[in-house]
Amino acid sequence: MITLTIDGRQVEVAPGTTVLEAAAEMGIEIPHYCYHPDIGVDGNCRMCLVQVGENTRKLPISCMTPCGDGMDVKTDSPAVVKARKGVLEFLLINHPLDCTICDQAGECPLQDYTYRFGPGDSRFVEHKNKKPKKVEFSDKVMFDAERCILCTRCVRFFTEKRDSKPLGIRNMGGKNEITLAPEGPIEDPYQMNIIDICPVGALTSRDFRFQQRVWFMDFADTVCPGCSRGCNITAGSYQNKLLRFVPRRNPDVNSSWMCDDGRLSYKQYDLAERTRGARVYGETVDLPAAYDKVAELVGDGSGVGVLASTRQTNEELYALKNWATSAGITSLWHGTATWVADDFLKQADATPNTAGATALGYEPAPAAPSGLRGLIVSGEVDVPAALLAGLDFLVLQAPVGGALGAAAVVVLPGRTPVEKKGVWVNADGLAQQVRPAISAGPDVPEDWTLWRDMAGAAWPTLKHLQDEMAAAGTAAPETAASTASES
Amino acid sequence: MITQSKVLSARFGKPDSCALSGYREDGGYVTYLDTLKTGQPDELVATVKESGLKGRGGAGFSTGMKWSFVPKGTDKPIYLCVNGDESEPGTFKDRQIIEHDPHQLLEGVGITCFAIKSHTAYIYLRCEFAEGIRKVQAAIDEAYAAGLFGKNIDGSGFDLDVYVATGAGAYICGEETSLLNSIEGIRPYPRNKPPFPAVEGLFGCPTIINNIETIANIPHIVKNGAAWHAGLGSKDDPGTRLWCVSGHVNKPGVFEIETGFSLQELIDGPCGGVRDGKLLKAVIPGGSSSRVLTVDEVARTNMDATSMREIGSSLGSAGIIVLDETTDMVDAVLNLMKFYAHESCGQCTPCREGTPWVVKVLERIMSGSGRTEDLALLVDIADNMEGRTVCALADGACWPLVSIVEKFRHEFEAKIGAPVGAGS
Repeated sequence: MITLTIDGRQVEVAPGTTVLEAAAEMGIEIPHYCYHPDIGVDGNCRMCLVQVGENTRKLPISCMTPCGDGMDVKTDSPAVVKARKGVLEFLLINHPLDCTICDQAGECPLQDYTYRFGPGDSRFVEHKNKKPKKVEFSDKVMFDAERCILCTRCVRFFTEKRDSKPLGIRNMGGKNEITLAPEGPIEDPYQMNIIDICPVGALTSRDFRFQQRVWFMDFADTVCPGCSRGCNITAGSYQNKLLRFVPRRNPDVNSSWMCDDGRLSYKQYDLAERTRGARVYGETVDLPAAYDKVAELVGDGSGVGVLASTRQTNEELYALKNWATSAGITSLWHGTATWVADDFLKQADATPNTAGATALGYEPAPAAPSGLRGLIVSGEVDVPAALLAGLDFLVLQAPVGGALGAAAVVVLPGRTPVEKKGVWVNADGLAQQVRPAISAGPDVPEDWTLWRDMAGAAWPTLKHLQDEMAAAGTAAPETAASTASES
Repeated sequence: MITQSKVLSARFGKPDSCALSGYREDGGYVTYLDTLKTGQPDELVATVKESGLKGRGGAGFSTGMKWSFVPKGTDKPIYLCVNGDESEPGTFKDRQIIEHDPHQLLEGVGITCFAIKSHTAYIYLRCEFAEGIRKVQAAIDEAYAAGLFGKNIDGSGFDLDVYVATGAGAYICGEETSLLNSIEGIRPYPRNKPPFPAVEGLFGCPTIINNIETIANIPHIVKNGAAWHAGLGSKDDPGTRLWCVSGHVNKPGVFEIETGFSLQELIDGPCGGVRDGKLLKAVIPGGSSSRVLTVDEVARTNMDATSMREIGSSLGSAGIIVLDETTDMVDAVLNLMKFYAHESCGQCTPCREGTPWVVKVLERIMSGSGRTEDLALLVDIADNMEGRTVCALADGACWPLVSIVEKFRHEFEAKIGAPVGAGS
């Protein structure tokens, strides 16, 4: 172990730890732009410089400086404070300072650091550099070279993480500019990550830009419903309308990344039409009446199967199973949905909780079930035609009715993955908290309460249900550590 | 009296000075071939260390010391890169060597590679040196044909391949790690150090980078001994150097002189005095990236490391730029700063943004729109650049800038319109 002093406090770190990392461990934030924990060090922005010992002329950059035994580091000495102000002033002299019309405003490290460490005013009275604006890097990413501070995080994301070079730097010195490779627009299916790691408003999402000021938005730390990787995300909404998913850093799952398909999958949860309340034969009824109808249809449970979506939470699946068991149903199946996996994050299983469903005893639906007279479908799931053939009745509990709802005797309401609370277990067996980003609105109770009420179970709150699961040993472990998103 | 000592330049101007035959007639490659047969790498490194030879590229680091940084027993290939990017304003000495005596350089390359256990050398030349590139390549071809390079040279068991690598003329490629990136074919941004190139350089392997003039000294040191070299010129920075004198003198040119002479005497003697009988105003002594000297300072300064350090400047790349009384120092520093702004690679924020800012301020002063606060601003911009970047390009811009603003403040103030002497 190495012992050093940072801002007068002694700390022990493992060899190879950088000064920036050691300071972060101690809760000392050293401002930085080009360094990113998941794409590493470049050393170009010069924002993270610190004083080591008494040398105030040569200030090393903390992102690259390994901790040394006995080192005396100062992150806020007069020399560091002045140098940092100087770097910020340099970054701002040619920056358009167009925060009022910039989408990054409110979540912009250039803005934040300028407030905290910057000079406050400018000594620059010359003409600013002119560079290209509104450059289409792709159908997803827009670039503004004047806002760019040339930290090269975007270039390095592709070289370090994607083994590709769709972006580079052209020209020299003050004329430097991030540019598309001659091959043309970026096609990488993970390209939108460069928008998140861009520390300024140079790279903006063509999907999200101009939609809403971030300080007016609501945010929920949750998990991407797109596949069984379970990328940690922050879902952003405004007035109960989802506007975006962005990845939330979790080194154990997705680092700082997510795929563009998962990111843009938020759009499918903006439902034009949805189930509210209960219907029996197309007639609106109150929930207890619907429950009675379900009980009548199910009878002793023989010849009835349950097909659950693997987008349902563990809690919902547990409550459903609890009801099914009480109703004498023994066939517990789960649906499947796949898309094309890749070698980065995307899993073939395009649902987030197959592992949870499997652990709770749900099995894949049989190809050719025999003697099936009734089917209970819970959640959004593609129902195989074989399961529907020759049924006497169908019960659907889902956010969207559609053709399946039209065929069902009983339709019960359901929540989408962005409206619910609970736990999903990803493909690696990691249980993660799902939190509601938007409200489902009236007459859409939490899914698990429907099955509770049908079974007459004694769980006043979700917590009671979770406690019972824990006691039964079926609860997944609490959410694994995830850290705040790194910008 | 200034005496010129012809060591490196001894064969300059001879007929066919570039030909292998002439070089061998003058005793060339004997030291190299002897070294391959009887030399010991460790002893050679020690000899060069003892000789006191310092790098001629500008930073003046001990050459033998640099060689000794190659990790012992490394299983990676070791490379030698010879820096011939020569682009420091006022510097044109390496060009003389490659255009007039390329075999002297190649013999140095051979001995150096043997000393550092390298079997591959790259001679990096800026593309504007078209004639030099042709001559060096022709000399390499001759050396291969004569069995001086290649496999099992002269039965010694030592293999050596030598290549010319050309750059596109960027100043930054003279920075040794940019040079490595340029050879590797990637954008020549200077690398962060550590790791130093001697440990992790070209293609991630141990690499020694030496200036052309430095390498050209090696055959002479090995032939004549460390003591001979250590006895030339001043003790702290011995040897001869090829001094490049340009600017307002009657006879500009390259002069080989042992270190330690009087700068004034060089101007008045070999250089034939200041042009057209004008008075001297200033000298930039070590390439444009050194602090300017006033007339008084020139008169009392010797050209050796210690004297220059005492007066706050440096010998740098030995590019001596002489400025006479007609020089507009504001315009002169603007000219220099345009160079640094143009040549900044743009990697580090302070240099990328600071060097063009300085140019804009100076242009404004030149156009008559200067403000009194601009002088303090220029000095403070420099303070925010110096020591804040990966490489020394910004430092090299700050030294002439600040020294000219401070030492010739009245010229700036006259342009700004402030009373001369106010606030100085």
